[in-house]
Amino acid sequence: MFAKEMVKQSLPLLIICGIGGIITGSTFSAMRSIFEAIPGLIVVVPGVIALRGNISTALGSRLGSAYHLGVIDAENMVNEELWQNIIGSLLLSFIMSCIIGLLAYITSLLLGVYPNPYILISIVIIAGVISSVILALLTILIIFLVFRRGYDPDNITGPALATFGDVVTILCIFGSAVLIGGFA
Amino acid sequence: MIYSWKNIVKHGLPLLTVCVLIEIIAGQILQINQDLLVSLFPIFLVSIPVINSVGGNIGSILGARLASGLHVGTITLSVKDKKMQENLFTAILIGFITYGVLAILIYFIAVFGGLVEEIGLTKFVSILLGTGVLLVLVISFVSVATALWSFKQGLDPDDMVAPVVTTFGDVVGILFLFLFIGVVV
Repeated sequence: MFAKEMVKQSLPLLIICGIGGIITGSTFSAMRSIFEAIPGLIVVVPGVIALRGNISTALGSRLGSAYHLGVIDAENMVNEELWQNIIGSLLLSFIMSCIIGLLAYITSLLLGVYPNPYILISIVIIAGVISSVILALLTILIIFLVFRRGYDPDNITGPALATFGDVVTILCIFGSAVLIGGFA
Repeated sequence: MIYSWKNIVKHGLPLLTVCVLIEIIAGQILQINQDLLVSLFPIFLVSIPVINSVGGNIGSILGARLASGLHVGTITLSVKDKKMQENLFTAILIGFITYGVLAILIYFIAVFGGLVEEIGLTKFVSILLGTGVLLVLVISFVSVATALWSFKQGLDPDDMVAPVVTTFGDVVGILFLFLFIGVVV
């Protein structure tokens, strides 16, 4: 009985997340020639995607709590509390992107692969910051729509960000690799 | 004011740094196998985000259910607990169904996109099912262990299980995938 209920409630959501994964994976696979042209790039992909997920879901759940605490609501959304949250998330994205780029470069050297550090690190920073801005805007939009309908943002932001976040992030990595790789 | 960007950055950095250090291992496993992925089996590049997101999601669902059960008191701190076993069994069952459905879907999308030259449907589905079921099994135990451990430490399992399970799952999922590619192909 119990197992049936869990399967019924979770399965559709998991399949939808999986289809989101297929879109991410297809983009990943479309980048094959870029991975061959830019050594070290494939190393940063899991890190940037995981970073994006952690930072944006934390932002979403903080804004959800802020709503429950009455700090922000549909009439009073763009205030100082919201800005502090957004600045904090963007700064974390920037710092962590620098760290991912550096780590990918150093560990590659140790394993005998020699990436161009400037190209690699600038791709990670551009992809990290741009995806962070897009997802912060998306989070605010989702929370705004959820507020107006009177739903609890805690139930919506997590799955929505998990589904869109990966796709947006891999597209940003693709875009900045083409941009920076093209200049080099 | 409740929030300040300084606190958000200060509290976020340690956990994110640990997470990124582990994810770099996952990335290096991909780079070591880059030739195999890029020229021989690009279909597995399509599969990797699917394997990781489904595994992470099942682990997080299980973790959240266990955390709620522990808070409310319907689940006790033991692997012998009936409810605990029921939850584990269901997670593995859901994993089997989800990975099976998605494997078939990926294969036909890959055929459509011209990515499949070197591998047949049966082999591909068995690699994904093997990876998926083993991953869910390991992730479930990590999820239970993290929930029990954080509960004993007086930490909220709701904060701990999802980041631990998704980060750990990314590395283990990619490792299992290459293990099964090695065995089947």
